[in-house]
Amino acid sequence: MRYLRLIGVQLRISAASGMAYRSDFLLEGFGTIAWMFMTLLPLMVLFDGVEQLEGWDRGSALIVMAYFMGVRAVLVGLVSPSLTELTERIRTGAFDYVLLKPVDAQALISASRFEPWKFLELVGALVLVVYAFYSKGTVPGGGDVVLGAVLFVVGVVAMYALWIACAASAFWVVRLDNLQYLLSAIFDTARWPVQVFQGVWRAVFTFVIPVAVMTTYPAMALLGRLDAQTALATVGGSLALLVVSRIIWQIAIRNYTSASS
Amino acid sequence: MIRVQDLAKHFKVHKRPPGLVSAMRSLVRRTYETVKAVDGVSFTIERGERVGFLGPNGAGKTTTLKVLSGLLHPSTGTVDVEGFTPHKRETRFLEAITLVMGQKSQLIWDLPPAETYAMNRAIFDVPVAKFDQTLDELTQLLDLGPLLQKPTRQLSLGERMKCELAAALLHGPTTLFLDEPTIGLDVAMQVAVRDFVRDYNQRHESTVLLTSHYMDDVVELCPRIIVIDHGRIIHDGDLRGLIKQMDPDKRVSFTTTDTEPDFSKLGTVMKRDGQRFTLRVAEAEIPAVVGQLLGPLKVVDLAIEDPPLEDVLRDMFGKAKPP
Repeated sequence: MRYLRLIGVQLRISAASGMAYRSDFLLEGFGTIAWMFMTLLPLMVLFDGVEQLEGWDRGSALIVMAYFMGVRAVLVGLVSPSLTELTERIRTGAFDYVLLKPVDAQALISASRFEPWKFLELVGALVLVVYAFYSKGTVPGGGDVVLGAVLFVVGVVAMYALWIACAASAFWVVRLDNLQYLLSAIFDTARWPVQVFQGVWRAVFTFVIPVAVMTTYPAMALLGRLDAQTALATVGGSLALLVVSRIIWQIAIRNYTSASS
Repeated sequence: MIRVQDLAKHFKVHKRPPGLVSAMRSLVRRTYETVKAVDGVSFTIERGERVGFLGPNGAGKTTTLKVLSGLLHPSTGTVDVEGFTPHKRETRFLEAITLVMGQKSQLIWDLPPAETYAMNRAIFDVPVAKFDQTLDELTQLLDLGPLLQKPTRQLSLGERMKCELAAALLHGPTTLFLDEPTIGLDVAMQVAVRDFVRDYNQRHESTVLLTSHYMDDVVELCPRIIVIDHGRIIHDGDLRGLIKQMDPDKRVSFTTTDTEPDFSKLGTVMKRDGQRFTLRVAEAEIPAVVGQLLGPLKVVDLAIEDPPLEDVLRDMFGKAKPP
């Protein structure tokens, strides 16, 4: 209960922080809307002269893109700003105040910054799903919608776990902008169905940095194309990532030496 | 109650000489040295005590406070704060203590302090009625009224420190670790913070362990002081005891009208500023010296004082050798 109330207060305060500078806030909103349209551009160009790509037609690929936008909304709206805040607090020593609080430090830091405009992409993702099914001329089954929604959460968890593991390394290396850029660049590949990638890259994006878990498999679930075994493996893989990231975090916390006064 | 027994905290620090070659060499092979920030410290502080923690920069004061508040694991030794082992960071322990760091802030920069307070209320799960009552009390004691709704970035340093103190105390801690709470503040604000800490300590019978570079903070607030240097305690007791132990002589200051004064027979002349003199005189000789000064020598504005704490400490730190 304490955590739920805390997350509520954090979201409210972060939203208020975001609105502290009016022009920044409005520019942010404009940027988010522009970004949503730009995201779709490569896909539109690609499918302009092609009917199918590795078994994906335009409408189905749009569903992957919708999942990408959805997971990205949580990434850029909540996870990334919070973890950037974490690295800043470690560098300045203000992380001391996080450890002095009687709540889990990971939980406290994970929702410490929230950028409200970015969540507009979640709405954009939903609109895109509706449009994709409309253009395909089909309607998803009830079970597929439930599984698709569950796997969306699973995908978000996998993304969060990867980022928290990366952010935890800030306790050792302090500045990890480059690592964050690399991770963001890899995450960008999640906008394409994993089948588009061949050989070793497909294996990397499925098992090593599982962007397939974040977008392709949830999209296949919504399209009614995911078998039960892969669905279970997706859930298991994501939870395993979460556990590993939690262990890395706990080791990192033990290594925290605090910046000097 | 705080009980510390043989506490040591050692850090492994990477060390390399300046220059490009040594920088490249350090990429391959690193040399480390162990820094003994705290090296075998023991003390006990009873509930309700106000204790000043003194020492030069790098003496180990802040490291000790961080171990006591659970931020750092001790290398060796045992620490007990209100019946808890700090580095385990149990919920009830963190609810019982607070750490105020004068050089770090927990206030949300772009928002008014009231928002940080709301966040801390949620974090510490303080009931609304209790929160309102505590905030009212702190607002009154620290005169926070006009500051609560102003964005933190628009507050002066002194105003911000008052708001920091309130943020640190809203959950009603019984042990206060204050690390340089008056740093950078003007004299009036230092006095205000000092008065507040004393008042809070007396109202709540809370334990206060304070570090400060301003001797006045310690003199005014702390009946007991612990002096630490090179990670070791070199004095633990009351202020007068320390001064007496280190420099038992008194300082006798006065102004003379004599145009060619010579006071060297009465004591050591420590300072001369125009016609104003300060002599160092053994305590036993004070009556005779004062008799002379007020009698035949006809001086005015005579004052007899203990040596300034700054001088005593400077002398002390100069003598202490690293282990």
